[in-house]
Amino acid sequence: MPTLTAFIKSLLIAAFIGLVGGGVFIYSGLYPIGADEPHNKLSYWLLETLRERSIARAASNIQIPDNLNTSDRLLAGGADYNDMCAGCHLKPGKSESDFTIGLYPSPPNLAAIADTHGSESGSDGNKGGNRDGTAIQRQFWIIKHGIKASGMPAWGPTHSDERIWNMVAFLQRLPSLTEDQYQILTARGKL
Amino acid sequence: MKFKLLTPVLVLSAMGIAFSAQAHDPKEHMKDAENPNCSAMEGMDHSKMDMNDPVMQAMMTQCMENMHHGDDGHSMNHDDASDNKHKDSSAKQHSEHKH
Repeated sequence: MPTLTAFIKSLLIAAFIGLVGGGVFIYSGLYPIGADEPHNKLSYWLLETLRERSIARAASNIQIPDNLNTSDRLLAGGADYNDMCAGCHLKPGKSESDFTIGLYPSPPNLAAIADTHGSESGSDGNKGGNRDGTAIQRQFWIIKHGIKASGMPAWGPTHSDERIWNMVAFLQRLPSLTEDQYQILTARGKL
Repeated sequence: MKFKLLTPVLVLSAMGIAFSAQAHDPKEHMKDAENPNCSAMEGMDHSKMDMNDPVMQAMMTQCMENMHHGDDGHSMNHDDASDNKHKDSSAKQHSEHKH
């Protein structure tokens, strides 16, 4: 049994050294925290995995409304998207902005791709009712709760669930919209 | 002294709550609101439009007024009552989201 005792002691010593070393590294200020310098691969993997696993767990029980693919939701959600999201997540005819260039991680271009992170399917993105439910749940959760230290705010405290679902509905059709269609759908002004 | 401070603190707090509650009302965005550019729809081949597509229905809702009252006399075969219903419903949704 002395072998097991020695093993546990070694483990505890290694853990102690790891904790102290980590603490020294954090307090040293050596890690580059500027948004213009990418994470190293290990930090990126850790943070991405933490984010995706957390969102997947938290969003798994969200109930998706049956009437997501309606013109009323597109109009309500489109106007909000244009005012609140397009600066970072872009719109048809726009491939970058100061925010997409400057933020790290760079916000996904939701006008060009169906946002299916964390989902193994649902890449069609063309017909709202057919999108993969996991991606839709994920979008709702992210809009409502935001993501820490990413630049994505939580809109839940100031926006009702219904209003967030309207934005999610708009996102299902956004990648397939032309510039003209986008302008008409998102214009708040009355003729 | 404490009571002298209490009033402005309460007033400022109340104002803060009131202003933050209005901050994301869709009406706040109306100052810079664009009009829909419905001239883009006039050049489309209406016979090829899928009127069951919610995107097309939403565009028709936005542009119906323009289509019926435009100078070039373009008119689309569409049910006004249905469109008004859409518009009312949309406006209702917006008004429901006051904070």
